[in-house]
Amino acid sequence: MRIVVLGAGTVGSSIANRLCREGHSVTVVDKDATHARRVYDEMDVRSVTGSAANSSVLFQAGMLGADLCLAVTGSDEVNMIAASMAKAMGARRAIARVYASVFRDLSTFDYQRHFQIDRMLSLEHLSAMELAREIRHPGAVAVESFARGELEMQELIISEGTAAVEVPLRDLKLPCGVRIGSISRGGELKIARAEDRVAPGDRITLIGTREDIDEVRGKFQKSPRPKQGVVIAGGGETGYHLARVLEGRRFAVLLMEVDRQRCEFLAAHLKQTTVVNADAQRRASLEEERVGSADVFVACTGEDEDNIMSCVEARELGARTIMCVVGRPDYANVVGKLGIDHTVSPRKVIAKEVMSFLNTGAVISRTPLAADEGIEILEIEVVDGAPATEHVLAGLDLPPQCLIGAVIRENYVMVPGADDRFTAGDTVVALVETSAVEQTVKMFSSNGG
Amino acid sequence: MKFADFISQDAICAELKATDKEGVIREIVQALLDAGRVESDEFEGVVKAILKREELGSTGIGRGVAVPHTKHPSVDQLVGTVAVSKTGVDFASLDGEPVHLFFLLISPPHRPGDHLRALENISRQLRNDTFCRFLKQAKNPADIQLVLEEADNNQFGS
Repeated sequence: MRIVVLGAGTVGSSIANRLCREGHSVTVVDKDATHARRVYDEMDVRSVTGSAANSSVLFQAGMLGADLCLAVTGSDEVNMIAASMAKAMGARRAIARVYASVFRDLSTFDYQRHFQIDRMLSLEHLSAMELAREIRHPGAVAVESFARGELEMQELIISEGTAAVEVPLRDLKLPCGVRIGSISRGGELKIARAEDRVAPGDRITLIGTREDIDEVRGKFQKSPRPKQGVVIAGGGETGYHLARVLEGRRFAVLLMEVDRQRCEFLAAHLKQTTVVNADAQRRASLEEERVGSADVFVACTGEDEDNIMSCVEARELGARTIMCVVGRPDYANVVGKLGIDHTVSPRKVIAKEVMSFLNTGAVISRTPLAADEGIEILEIEVVDGAPATEHVLAGLDLPPQCLIGAVIRENYVMVPGADDRFTAGDTVVALVETSAVEQTVKMFSSNGG
Repeated sequence: MKFADFISQDAICAELKATDKEGVIREIVQALLDAGRVESDEFEGVVKAILKREELGSTGIGRGVAVPHTKHPSVDQLVGTVAVSKTGVDFASLDGEPVHLFFLLISPPHRPGDHLRALENISRQLRNDTFCRFLKQAKNPADIQLVLEEADNNQFGS
């Protein structure tokens, strides 16, 4: 594929490098001639020097008719403008990296839709999601958020003697916003069907809004596990998003942040998190906040060195699981040796996300539900004249190994019922067994083929 | 959008005489004028507009190809043509190589979408090495026209 990467910083060059190694034709643009030169010298890419928001530069970079534009410069505004121009110039897909969460919020203004960008990604948000997944389900599957964060997918294990056991799924009376996606039993993973019944020990995935999922959790799980204590060092974007997804019934979250003003913001926005104005670099503060008895300690200040230092302290104080955000690739080797259980690298996280966009046709993104297990999460755009628009959902010839999780229409996310009908412009989130992907995608392609 | 939608067959040049950037642009626009696609009293204006765009950054995108273009109110539909230079022209290209193959496009300002689609089509086709080679080897305008028709029928598989 022809991919134009805007920005040759840490993120841009690491993605360019990976795409190159996978055999794609990559052009990198950077306003700094030395950066552009460096990537040109180090890898097999074309490079152009100039501003990413400059039409003449984008023209030279071959944006007209490119397959994918990745706008990952250091500036949110430049990224949005450039990604939007890329789409207007005929790039098939455009992704913009943004830092400030306001750009991904739809309540006042929908930037993504206005600028016609396919995805706005925040490194900090993605890193927080990756940490949250590791905390919620150590070593297990997705806690992905879809439909621009409005929809979640959560995994849970069925407890003995709960209301759901041995009842056909169709009779479970789940609220209309929640759907069971897949059932995994004895190592075999499959798409859930209406006549299926769950048994104790099964792992299921639920798709829906977090509130709805939390509400139905009791049908499947007996008394939830005792609350786990999570201490987060650093209240920047990553720490904030992490606290926001974790806080609630299952986790007692304590967030340490040095900046007093930021603490006020955090305290106002995180209703169930304890925000303390303290420096996680100081051993005394860690002791005072009883980090030693925490189940999980996460360091996500903006500085690698600070993160590593406080992780080492927390480990020594006795925190059970230690997690760390590490940006510099050079440190990866060291952190394992220091007793840090899990590290998240923002570069890797965004690279993984980008890889899911290397598709053709109607498919926007394609992500495996779990490693090597045969179910994929597809995000598909509904185009004019697709067979999927011809009938209501019940009348469509979709393969049984495909489950429509949600539809995003005009900004709103809904879980469609049998009587709903897709229209061009919708985005569909579907869980599909790998063997049925081709057949499913056909239904959404303009000529049915 | 297809080449047939905007390339003026009568203005195709298989053998450019000019050897510098401005000269080449003048020669191609003159060909469009001779073909009745550009008004004679608009000639200087069109040439200036194209040169002004070049000042922002060369449209020589490397591999011996350049796509000089502009929007100009004197045209009421997309006007474009193809020109080949056997000797090659220094066009301040990205890769520093001389340019042999020129696609020149002038669009009316009120159709920005068509302008982009035409540029997109040109850019897409120019990525195909076979397409470029065939154009450079063409001996006369009729040969070039034939290659363009083949590209319109997706015979180069891009």
